Amino acid sequence: MGQVTVDSLVFDASAHRSAAHCIIEFEPARAVDLAENPIYSLTRVFLPHLQEATSLAQLCRLAAGEMKRLTGFGRCLIYRFNEAGDGEVLAEDRDTGYESYAGHRFPSADIPRQARDLYLLNQFRLIADADYLPVPLMSVTAGLGADAIDLSQAQLRSVSPIHLEYMRNMGTLASMSVSIVIEGRLWGLISCHDHGPRQLSTPTKLACDHLGQLLALQIRSNETTSAVSDGLVLRQITLAIVSRLSESDGTLQQLIREASLLLRLTHAHGAAVVLDDKVWSVGEVPDEAHIQALAHWVSGMGVEIYESSALASHFDAAKDFCNAAGVLAVSISQVHRHLIIWFRPELVQTVNWAGDPRKSAVSADGRIHPRASFASWAEEIRGQSKPWSPVELGAVAELRQALIGIVLRRAEELAAIASELGRVNKELEAFSYTVSHDLRAPMRHIAGYVDLVLDVESKTLSDRARRYLGQVKEASTFAGQLVDALLDFSRMSRSALKRKAVDSGLLVDSLVRELSRYDRPERSARIEWDIASDLPTLHADPLLLQVAVRNLMANATKYSRHRSPARIAVRGISREEGDGIEVEDNGVGFQMKYVDKLFGVFQRLHQTEEFEGTGIGLANVKRIVERHGGTVWAHGEVDRGARFGFVIPRPDTQLSAQRGEPHA
Amino acid sequence: MLKPILLVEDDKRDLELTLIALERSQLANDVVIVRDGAEALDYLRREGEYTGRDEGNPAVVLLDLKLPKVTGLEVLEAVRGDSALSSIPIVMLTSSQEEADVVKSYQLGVNAYVVKPVAFDHFVSAIADLGIFWAVLNEPPPGSLRAVRRND
Repeated sequence: MGQVTVDSLVFDASAHRSAAHCIIEFEPARAVDLAENPIYSLTRVFLPHLQEATSLAQLCRLAAGEMKRLTGFGRCLIYRFNEAGDGEVLAEDRDTGYESYAGHRFPSADIPRQARDLYLLNQFRLIADADYLPVPLMSVTAGLGADAIDLSQAQLRSVSPIHLEYMRNMGTLASMSVSIVIEGRLWGLISCHDHGPRQLSTPTKLACDHLGQLLALQIRSNETTSAVSDGLVLRQITLAIVSRLSESDGTLQQLIREASLLLRLTHAHGAAVVLDDKVWSVGEVPDEAHIQALAHWVSGMGVEIYESSALASHFDAAKDFCNAAGVLAVSISQVHRHLIIWFRPELVQTVNWAGDPRKSAVSADGRIHPRASFASWAEEIRGQSKPWSPVELGAVAELRQALIGIVLRRAEELAAIASELGRVNKELEAFSYTVSHDLRAPMRHIAGYVDLVLDVESKTLSDRARRYLGQVKEASTFAGQLVDALLDFSRMSRSALKRKAVDSGLLVDSLVRELSRYDRPERSARIEWDIASDLPTLHADPLLLQVAVRNLMANATKYSRHRSPARIAVRGISREEGDGIEVEDNGVGFQMKYVDKLFGVFQRLHQTEEFEGTGIGLANVKRIVERHGGTVWAHGEVDRGARFGFVIPRPDTQLSAQRGEPHA
Repeated sequence: MLKPILLVEDDKRDLELTLIALERSQLANDVVIVRDGAEALDYLRREGEYTGRDEGNPAVVLLDLKLPKVTGLEVLEAVRGDSALSSIPIVMLTSSQEEADVVKSYQLGVNAYVVKPVAFDHFVSAIADLGIFWAVLNEPPPGSLRAVRRND
């Protein structure tokens, strides 16, 4: 309203409306403190620099200095509220003799919620002199009580005695605050203090108010710009990760190869990829068991993205690992436990508190008392990491979408490959069956006709011709055996498993009798069998199990037949993964470097003249045992014997093994 | 007179070897040879070129599984579906023991199933055992004469 002269005294007058009244305030006019109008000064000095400030800290330093220049207050702070309402001093400008508050935090109780609400409503507030004498409102109109007048918007209304006490504690007689309001939220304050009283002219006050608004605008614009540019950087990282992944085999564990990109995406210190029971990790991460426990817990929540910067307060087990106070996890599958998890260590940050935030600020009478002591108090924040920013959360959400796309495409490709493999496999089986089947007839014919010639023309044949024909007969018979063995092998993998409990002791006993009978008496007499009395009961297909055990025992007799005596031991084996049998002989043995060849089809380590055989027996053993979900092994030493064995899972663990079985 | 053995075999070598094996088993029965499934059915039903043959079913049919035109399984099915023929003993001869064939043959009511062994002496004894069992030892269906071994 400008200046009003009353009885030769000049007043600055201002007016505003409350709900029921128009309130006009008068205060003695003051000379302008600067040479030019503060508003112009602000525009001329402050605005050009405003554009140059690229960081928040720089901007705040600039604003603090400008505020101090405009008002002459001894100390000007730029102060930001976090979500909990605690204040943090971002910048200050002060004269000597004023304690520094730079970097300090003020507990939320120091500027209680009611006060923060008022700062939002009333964005400029000056207490020119904390030692002022309050004057009561006087009513000149009958019926209008002083208590009926709403002064909450009035500049000259009295200040709460609590606040005055707070100011005097701080050694401050004058204080001023300009609210920094961004998107309707109290972002922070420009807070000014002086040891002495400090009155300001109206143009200066207006300029201060304006400075607050300019600062708010610039902070908002900087925040938006930096969010956009941070977002762009993270988007590029996401794209790089996705493109590298799609060039690989597309499995999620490949992400770990892109460790630096993966960590930069979220500014994390460690990351892990969890695919069901498997874990791949990089950087600072908890140990594998802890990662698994965490993955289990996170996937149990059924959320797409989980984030926490204080994991231990939500997940008890996290108390055991301090390098994962911050956790950000994305789930790639709703069915499987497929997660990517980022970790941030505990930020044992030393925070300067102006006052101990853990002390109750509420006294016994329920009133809020500002703290009497403001010596800096450092508190370590335990179990907390730097929070995950909205930009980082956005980036992982985007990465998640891209990965799901890759995983789905990969799954489709795999399904196509699997069905193609199944088809090719069937074709191969059919082919091997047909070939061996069709070869069988000509082998039979050769053997048959040679037999006939030897039989019918025996007398007219020369010895040499008889010997040649003998070779033909032997060869064709052997070829026939090979074909039969191949047919058996192919049937072995196609026939259905019919499992039941088999007493392997009885099985071994009957095989000992069988092998002794087929052997020539003089040889079997020289085999010393050492059969353990505690052979296990195995849950297996009785016929296939017999084929496998017969093979192992027949091999033992075959390869030890030049020993006198041949010693063959059969013993039970019990391991974590199942029970089984091991057969050991003192025969010719084999070189361990060929151990991998032993179980292959048609792989032989001996010449046929030395030891007869088709080279398919151990392949059959392996196939039978593996169809039961078990494992085979072999140990040998040349001329010192060999040991062959297998275990198959016990019934309670066989469910999972059966699932992997090919159709029968 | 003895009922004949009907041998259904397309492969000429298998045919010759089977005949030799039958000869060595000293069965007195005549052996009637047909070369495919269609001809086998013609013989059994007295149709086509067998319209004029004497009445009576063979003592046993030795039937190869894989045959041109009409396969062994189809012959088996046709025989079992024909009330005049259904009681004839049928032995399936084949080159290998494909499980599905075995199961199907038994479902269709085959009397025996023999995988031809590679070694000729085994083959001879298998054929001899078959002939003796089905043409001599087995009680033939009513209406057919009991086969007699030649040197009995």
